Amino acid sequence: MSQVTEVVKLRRRVLVEIAKLAFAGVLKEKINEILYNVVTEEGPRYRCCVHKERAVLKERIKLGLSQKSDLELIEAAQKAVAGDVADMPVIHVLSEACDQCPIDKFIVTNACRNCVAHNCINSCPKKAIMVVQNRAYIDKNKCVECGLCKKSCQYSAIIEVNRPCEGACDLGAIQAGNDRRAIIDYSKCVECGSCKTACPFGAISDRSAIVQVVSQLKSKNKVYAVMAPAFIGQFGAKVKPGQVVEALKQIGFADVYEASLGADIVTLEETKEFVSTVPKERKFMTTSCCPAFASMVEKHLPDVANHVSTTVSPMIATGKVIKAKESDAVVVFIGPCIAKKAEAAGCSDVIDYALTFEELMCMMVGAGINITEISESEYHSSASRDGNTFAKAGGVAQAVVDTAAALAPDLEVKVHHCEGLRNCKSALIQINAEKLAVNFFEGMACEGGCIGGPGTLTNSKITSKLVGIFAGASKATVAVENETAAAEIAEDRHWHRK
Amino acid sequence: MHSLTIEICVGSACYLLGAQDLLEMIEGLPPAIRSKIDLRGASCLKACGKGPNLKINGELISDVTPEKLMEIIHNHCG
Repeated sequence: MSQVTEVVKLRRRVLVEIAKLAFAGVLKEKINEILYNVVTEEGPRYRCCVHKERAVLKERIKLGLSQKSDLELIEAAQKAVAGDVADMPVIHVLSEACDQCPIDKFIVTNACRNCVAHNCINSCPKKAIMVVQNRAYIDKNKCVECGLCKKSCQYSAIIEVNRPCEGACDLGAIQAGNDRRAIIDYSKCVECGSCKTACPFGAISDRSAIVQVVSQLKSKNKVYAVMAPAFIGQFGAKVKPGQVVEALKQIGFADVYEASLGADIVTLEETKEFVSTVPKERKFMTTSCCPAFASMVEKHLPDVANHVSTTVSPMIATGKVIKAKESDAVVVFIGPCIAKKAEAAGCSDVIDYALTFEELMCMMVGAGINITEISESEYHSSASRDGNTFAKAGGVAQAVVDTAAALAPDLEVKVHHCEGLRNCKSALIQINAEKLAVNFFEGMACEGGCIGGPGTLTNSKITSKLVGIFAGASKATVAVENETAAAEIAEDRHWHRK
Repeated sequence: MHSLTIEICVGSACYLLGAQDLLEMIEGLPPAIRSKIDLRGASCLKACGKGPNLKINGELISDVTPEKLMEIIHNHCG
């Protein structure tokens, strides 16, 4: 996420207001004030009227509280403060906000000259095109949206109109319903968040556990933050990791762990798994740390599912390290990812809540903390260079290659990595059909890897550089040199999915 | 010679609302215009919540977008 559009600003303003009231302990009493603070009579106005604007906002607030849309705001606030998270998917279409974009995919524009050749008419396999009022006309009842007319027109007079959400989804999981509002097919959706980022109306959003986490921070419980390796530079390009840790403590976290420590554990376990199963039991193995990728394989390529590594993700590995020390600790994962929220919900015994960097910064601002004014304390990573590089596409594969070179120097690792679910899917099909000579595959749903996730705050080009510098300064280079990770592995905390 | 001093607030509240986009916009200006600007970062301009905020030659401007800032720069630098 780099461009802070009006849609992004609006979402962040709402989350800041929610966090502010939650920290002040007056969320139930003042929740309705958000409607008037964020949408003022003076504007700016993006919808037809102030009432529509507030109706959209109400839905947005309820999702920001992780509550269902049929509740009243006060009731939703009450449940959120009590720690309740509604049993529902992570990503939702805010039906009030969806602009019901047109579904006519191919449109003839004014550029049509009603030429003599009529390539469009000739190219149409369904005879859906005729000339009406001196211009080509597409009969929607016959059109099958093949696109041949668009290709055939030498004036480029026929254009293709895509709904941004549909265009962004690599898995065909979002479509227009009968009333033209977008509908998510949850049997196909892997909660990657592409549609959320793409929608220019801000009509797709994810549930947030900000209030539930604030309630925990205010309780007597010890709450630990697990920061994903992409956290470097997220809260300002010049903000240092030590300042982030201090800010987290100021809002009530007992301590902060790096998920990259878990990444080192994962690298060691995943490499062992690779060495012992490839090529004996399976031709190739894939990573499992990107939850949207893992879910894509499960839902869309079930034949390949047994090739996915059974090693848990760095988030879960780190959660297990914390819970082993303190079984009643509350663990909050904070990362660039929306799909991690779904993954966390599926392993609630290890991870209590998952937030995005965006949500954390909204919490900091809501708590009145300006991270740039926090004095810098010295900070050393608990992970190796390779563990910290998990944040970038290709990082997991590199970590496994480096560790395999130490553990099984004779084994040849033929690596391939892809970004974007469509690319991952087609590469996997090819690898499975032995058209690509690959025995280890890294799949990442987001462009650039985790640093390009939908919950980030900083341009991924900047984060990429900063993560590189931070990783380069790590004491250990590869996972095998990380003594803490090795000691944790020796404890055997069930590092594999059943 | 700098003809324009721009202080952009990069405090948390302003960063959240897009201060980075403003910095990147200025850094990407053509050298002839960029050289006229003395760009400084500020940690808080005491107008949190109305951000992103900046000061141009000492004058506070709130809720700035890259487009708005571009217009202001062009008005000053011709």
